Amino acid sequence: MAGMAGANGECQNRAVLDQWHPLGAIDEAEPNVVHVTRLLGESISFAVTPEGRSAVWRTRGDLAAGMPVDPESVAGTLPSRCEFLYVWTSLGDPPERSFDIPEFFEPDRRNFNACTIGLRTSAPRAVENFLDMGHFPFVHDGLLGSEPRTEVVDYNVHVDGDTNEVWATECQFWQPAASATATEGQMVDYVYRIMQPYSILLYKSCPAAPERMDLIGLFVQATSEEHCRGHMFLSLIDDESSIGHIRRFVQTIFAQDVPIIENQNPKRLPLDPQAETPIRSDRASILYRRWLSDLGVTYAVIPAA
Amino acid sequence: MTADPFTMWHPVASEHDVPYRHVHHGQLLGRELAVWRADDDFVNVWENRCLHRGLRLSIGSNDGTELRCQYHGWRYANRSAGCTYIPAHPADAPARTICNRTFSSVERYGLVWSGESPVGDPPTVDVLEAGTPFGLRNLPVDASVELAVRHLQAHRFSPCGRLDAEAPEMTVDGVSDYSVALTARAGDARSTAVFFVQPVDSGRCVIRGVLADAPPAGEQLAVWRHHAIELDRLRVVIEAEAASLPAPEPMVPMLQQVPLHLAEVPDAPAGRQPALRVQVQRKWETAAGVAAFELAPIEGVLPTFQPGAHIDVHLPNGLVRQYSITNGPGESASYRLGVKLEPDSSGGSSCLHETVREGDVLAISEPRNNFPLRRDSNRTILVAGGIGITPLLAMAQALDRMSLPFELHCFAQSAEHVAFADVVDGLGGSVVRHLGLSPDETVAEIRRLVAGYESFANLYVCGPGPMLEAVRREASAAGWPDEAVHFEYFKNTNEIDNSSTFEVALARSAMTVTVPAGATILEVLRGHGVIMPSSCEQGACGTCVATVLEGEPDHQDVYLNDSEHRAGDRIMTCVSRAASDRLVLDL
Amino acid sequence: MIKLYDYVLSVNCYKQRLLLSILDVPYESIPVDFYPGWEHKSEAFKKINPLGHIPVIDDDGYILWDAHAILVYLAAKYDPSGQWYPSGDPERVGETASWMLFAEGTTNTASAARLCVNLEYDFDLEACQAGAHRLFRVLDEHLWFQERRGLDWVCSGAHPTIADLALFPDVILSEEGGISRMDYPALRRWTDRFRRIPGFVTMPGIFPASPG
Repeated sequence: MAGMAGANGECQNRAVLDQWHPLGAIDEAEPNVVHVTRLLGESISFAVTPEGRSAVWRTRGDLAAGMPVDPESVAGTLPSRCEFLYVWTSLGDPPERSFDIPEFFEPDRRNFNACTIGLRTSAPRAVENFLDMGHFPFVHDGLLGSEPRTEVVDYNVHVDGDTNEVWATECQFWQPAASATATEGQMVDYVYRIMQPYSILLYKSCPAAPERMDLIGLFVQATSEEHCRGHMFLSLIDDESSIGHIRRFVQTIFAQDVPIIENQNPKRLPLDPQAETPIRSDRASILYRRWLSDLGVTYAVIPAA
Repeated sequence: MTADPFTMWHPVASEHDVPYRHVHHGQLLGRELAVWRADDDFVNVWENRCLHRGLRLSIGSNDGTELRCQYHGWRYANRSAGCTYIPAHPADAPARTICNRTFSSVERYGLVWSGESPVGDPPTVDVLEAGTPFGLRNLPVDASVELAVRHLQAHRFSPCGRLDAEAPEMTVDGVSDYSVALTARAGDARSTAVFFVQPVDSGRCVIRGVLADAPPAGEQLAVWRHHAIELDRLRVVIEAEAASLPAPEPMVPMLQQVPLHLAEVPDAPAGRQPALRVQVQRKWETAAGVAAFELAPIEGVLPTFQPGAHIDVHLPNGLVRQYSITNGPGESASYRLGVKLEPDSSGGSSCLHETVREGDVLAISEPRNNFPLRRDSNRTILVAGGIGITPLLAMAQALDRMSLPFELHCFAQSAEHVAFADVVDGLGGSVVRHLGLSPDETVAEIRRLVAGYESFANLYVCGPGPMLEAVRREASAAGWPDEAVHFEYFKNTNEIDNSSTFEVALARSAMTVTVPAGATILEVLRGHGVIMPSSCEQGACGTCVATVLEGEPDHQDVYLNDSEHRAGDRIMTCVSRAASDRLVLDL
Repeated sequence: MIKLYDYVLSVNCYKQRLLLSILDVPYESIPVDFYPGWEHKSEAFKKINPLGHIPVIDDDGYILWDAHAILVYLAAKYDPSGQWYPSGDPERVGETASWMLFAEGTTNTASAARLCVNLEYDFDLEACQAGAHRLFRVLDEHLWFQERRGLDWVCSGAHPTIADLALFPDVILSEEGGISRMDYPALRRWTDRFRRIPGFVTMPGIFPASPG
């Protein structure tokens, strides 16, 4: 049985169609050239101007991939915006604003796309894995965790009443080398924030500025119900490590997760509470699944009966 | 007639596919399987899906006794597939009902047989029973079983001894929906082969050929080679036809739901009922005054145990006693207990020593673990007094298997008083025996052992009451926090004062009851139809715990430690009472 | 010290890190911003390797590129046992060369499929996957027969060679390119054995094997 998809695989789920979805990093898209990608089962094209304005449209024959184009002259476009490093679009009626990242505009931050990687799984599986600390010692051994320090201490979760975003706060996990200079392990603080069904941000204690947080985002482009592209967003206060070093670190972490999330069965995230076995440390993912149900998300998930 | 493939046995792997310390990735009727051989040679056939987050178990690791999921390190036991450890919550015993889906398995003719819900026994084939079966290389084919079976009937090969025969005479000896038996003859030479076809999915299968008679050792490689070439030729034909047909829809196996109580709240309560019957497979004297018992299931598989777990044993004389399981991880064919003959036995240990014999049937409870082992320590000290070694032996073997550091200190009257000495010896250099010490010498030795607490250290102790008191006292004096000192009493020797009368309100059941003098909370609640688990019923084992929401408990148990007693948020309902007029429990 | 122009997610760079680790040869990893910087296609990098690909090694001024060629060089120079590249045994040299050519095929199919999926390289994904399955069938059968002969590795003899090493990353990461190994049980067993070689190191996407 197919999920909430039409005959050609295109999405028919209003709750998802009306969201803003990322298509690619502005910096990595050559200006004034047609780029073709997929979103929610459809072929979508976009182009950006050198000044960072964008146009997005359903792919058509007269504007093939790689052709030069003046984005501002394209007719029949979809809603689009260039924000937080990426080109975003919507296939429905999107809200005026997607979400806020006030830290993004602080002058001493470095904001960049660490990588965009294609994944053979659903967008919500990727988000849920990003939200999970318990796997650090087993999947990111020596980097984000290390046996036998495997305990996930209790943390708090809530849905923000104003923004309807999911938050997991006061999360802590033991990290063997919390920064490039650290020689001993320490507890690291994390805060997770899910802004949209397929977009999540992590606030992590920053070695360079103890009172502030580094931001790592995973903005997932659901290309179909069981495939996606993960855009890894970084906003860091770090005056020591080079971008290249941080990029390699983040790409390493991401690539370690790939064989895990691609080996989950089923690929679509099951929302029925009885489909899988949560434990106390899964409180955030329990709330995420329930929140997806409450939002009416049926695409790339297996809805609860 | 076409039989229902879901009630049939099918081969799912060959013996070559399941060497030790490997996990074979298989599939049957659309359902993916993880097939693995434990070091005790039991072949596990499990759904290829960790029930926590759906991860394929075939990318996990087989340590010989347990399968570890690669995602969060959950460990699942040989045979039962029950979860024995959840690293994210190292202080907690996993709910007993967390168990992956298992399928029957039988090894026959060099193949591992299984099925969705197979009826009866795997098929016997006369020609293979009479012969010396010789497995050929399995051949995966991108085509349906029907197509493979049809083409197999025209398959040709040469008999052993005449592999060069140009035109062997072929006969079809038998055909079923899932197998074809053929005989090839050339001159005096003849070979019979049975080809079993494993239905992988609607459009995929594996042909598993077995020759009735093994060729001489020197010819085997040539025979394998010959059949590989001929079967490969056959595959080209089958796949060419399959490619010309419309591709069938893949089969969609039903994924089982986890029980509701696992999806929402922890652990359903159960009464003090014997859950299963076991047979005394072996009884022997393992140390002076200590009888060991090996209890095997009468049918099926024993439930999963974790290190530290105990069972209730229902004795022929009507008494119920608790004994720790001493087994190492994955030793799931039987439970091994050690029972010391108590000089003042009120009929428990003397009944086991004197009356119970090999072959007797006993009723036991499912294992409960109120003495769970953390495995996230930098240092684990296990202190055993006499027969108190039993739960610690299970812990030491689990730590040993995971290559985690530990020290096991065995206090005993003499070397002859150390139970399961063979297992203790197998643990290697981390075992220290302290023999024949006086009470004062014992305390001095304990003081030395617990000196110098460091964070991420844990201390586990089981033994007679005075020794436990000494360890708790000395550890506390040496700076060990209460939560790092874990203990298990054999029994509660406190004088129980049950003279008070008080009210108990149940918050979730909206019910208030009065507990009169002479009755326990547990008895009164059960009298009102509340289902409560219990085991020792003397405040030692921790099974009947309840959460206190309001009121001040009057603790009389020996299960909770001092700071837990002071916190007052948990109560052992079998012995403890209320110091206030009223208690509100989270039930 | 040897310099290795390196990218953490590159299968071909990993082959060099793996051999250097197994042979316990110290080296300096010079990171190349392969993605998203495409630094290997830059003019500056083409002065090091005009073909514009990695890995490249610089061994005290001696520059060599092409992953499998570097393996031959490193094994010939730094393996005192002479087993990884069995130059003293002409038959095994021949087998090693043969399976290394085969590994060019797995790189151009299985590893190419992974680049298609992960980084959206413009290859024909289905053709890469079908090609990988054809080669895996051959390799699985070969390894099954090796097992029957009591041999653990692709070439004859008791010791693995750089042919195993050249094949291993393409095989173990194939699922990232959508190529299941369920039909290749002998291949899966060989990846367990390979991961138990002393000095084995992982790269992202590969987990260690359970102790043997």
